[in-house]
Amino acid sequence: MIHHLVLTLEQRPEVLERVLRVTRHRGFRVCDMRMSQQEDQRLLLDMAVDSDKAIELLSRQLDKLIDVTTCVVQGYQPIARTING
Amino acid sequence: MEQGQTISGSQAVIKVLAAHGVTTVFGYPGGAIMPIYDALYGSQVEHLLCRHEQGAGFAAVGYARSSGKTGVCFATSGPGATNLITALADAMMDSIPLVAITGQVATPVIGTDAFQEMDVLGMSLSCTKHSFMVTSSDELVATLYQAFEIAAAGRPGPVLVDIPKDIQLAQLEYKTPLQAVPDEPSLDLAAIAAANTLLAQAERPMLYVGGGVGMAGAVEQLRELIQRTGIPSVATLKGLGAVTHNAPGYLGMLGMHGNQAANHAVQQADLLLVAGARFDDRVTGKLDTFAPHAKVIHLDIDAAEQGKLRQPEVAINDDLRMVLPALSLSQDIGPWQQHVAQLKQQYAWRYDRPGTQIYAPALLKALADSLPEDSVVSCDVGQHQMWVAQHMWFRRPEDHLSSAGFGTMGFGVPAAVGAQVARPGATVVAVSGDGSFMMNVQELTTIKRRRLPLKILLLDNQKLGMVKQWQQLFFEERYSETDLSDNPDFLTLAAAFNIPGRSISKASEVADALSDMLTSPGPFLLHVQIDDRFNVWPLVPPGASNSDMIDEVEIQQ
Repeated sequence: MIHHLVLTLEQRPEVLERVLRVTRHRGFRVCDMRMSQQEDQRLLLDMAVDSDKAIELLSRQLDKLIDVTTCVVQGYQPIARTING
Repeated sequence: MEQGQTISGSQAVIKVLAAHGVTTVFGYPGGAIMPIYDALYGSQVEHLLCRHEQGAGFAAVGYARSSGKTGVCFATSGPGATNLITALADAMMDSIPLVAITGQVATPVIGTDAFQEMDVLGMSLSCTKHSFMVTSSDELVATLYQAFEIAAAGRPGPVLVDIPKDIQLAQLEYKTPLQAVPDEPSLDLAAIAAANTLLAQAERPMLYVGGGVGMAGAVEQLRELIQRTGIPSVATLKGLGAVTHNAPGYLGMLGMHGNQAANHAVQQADLLLVAGARFDDRVTGKLDTFAPHAKVIHLDIDAAEQGKLRQPEVAINDDLRMVLPALSLSQDIGPWQQHVAQLKQQYAWRYDRPGTQIYAPALLKALADSLPEDSVVSCDVGQHQMWVAQHMWFRRPEDHLSSAGFGTMGFGVPAAVGAQVARPGATVVAVSGDGSFMMNVQELTTIKRRRLPLKILLLDNQKLGMVKQWQQLFFEERYSETDLSDNPDFLTLAAAFNIPGRSISKASEVADALSDMLTSPGPFLLHVQIDDRFNVWPLVPPGASNSDMIDEVEIQQ
């Protein structure tokens, strides 16, 4: 099942690696993603991930990362429609 | 040193350590961390030179685990830092507060494959709670403060700070960062009420105690809850020492090598009250058969643990010191308590093994009964580790150091070094096996260097025992690479480090030898020769339910 996550991240060079590492290790595959810088310098990461596992198994782990400011599960639609639409 | 004074980055590192009450750092110098070692020289922070960075990392872990304080270790760039990785991973799996400071090559040459350069920040991502590479001297002090805060906050863990050499050398204006006022502790009253409703309905409640209780400083509250409610209890490997060992209804360790009474009682329970534990596979056996009749109240500071492996009916993330006193039982659980007492009696460990050979479980029981009030046992990994967990008893969780989640052979001796430094008045015993002992044997020099009085109890069956046991049981007795009969002469080896010792092989020698070891004023190696046919029993076979433990008798039939 594809899940859509929206994260805000601290501006650190390695922050994307952290998020992607946890995503892979916890058993989720990134299908689509887009990252942009916000006015407050934080990064906004829109990510669609695929897994048979419950999305909370990922979102709670991402939430624990020190440089993840917020992590919101948006729903179950493919991200491409959301971020390109 | 005054606020705003200009000092070097290296001096700032030492100043931050002193400000956090760090009295001893464990480490090993090298090129990229030389400025920090120069600042350390003659400073108020003491340093214990270990003989391998992994040894330094485990000494810091032992220091942290035995004292409740944050452990600190130093290593240089490249191989120094990569040698620390195993200790960081061990600290990560067991939630140990650690700050590891590594030197890095100078900023201008990072990314050029410079001498002893490695992307340590990249390597740290999977084995630390958080990590930093300092990119500006202006950030250095605040970063180090943040590292200490993160290491100890919430669910503790290791934090790595990688500091390029030019930043160690740069001058900076030292300012103590403003620190956030901690949030007022809160209690989720609705969740507490829901938990108490479940507890009130339970006829067969069971308390499943993990390492989180000790780490939360909630041992007193846990014991009060047990005393007030009479709820029966079991513990994980890391939870040992939290429950008073002779409390009625306490059944010891559960899981793969747990006591049968503990496993059967959990399988029969209708409610599991889980305190600071995480349904590890070595605890649950086949997960979907674990505690099949039980509703679950899961108390853990880390919300990511709740529902990770077992969905709880009630989840609470608040401080255990507040949660545990708010819980109560209202139903009479007398029949269940009697049943648990009967299980406890039925499956009590027996030590009356005939013969002249040394029976390691009996020896370890005798050791536990002989240890003084202030004592620490630091285990290695393997059969002896499980025998310690089964047959020794501990006054508090800080008295039992064991590489639980990561299962790192070589943990025992260096962790004991750290414990002896943290608690100089304690009797510290490293219990090791002949396989594990050789994995960080270089740390005998550290014992010699500091003249640490720690004791080493080496259980030697000339085998890589736990692997051999599994080969015997599950791999058709094909003993691939588990014979260690070419071990060195351990007494001669210890003597080379000025550590006296004694070797025994008969049960009749045990009492006298334990006394020799414990009354020795300095370090001592007690080498215990045991028969390799002794295995760890009982056992939940891989993939089996905890209901289906096998015991020695069943195998022999």
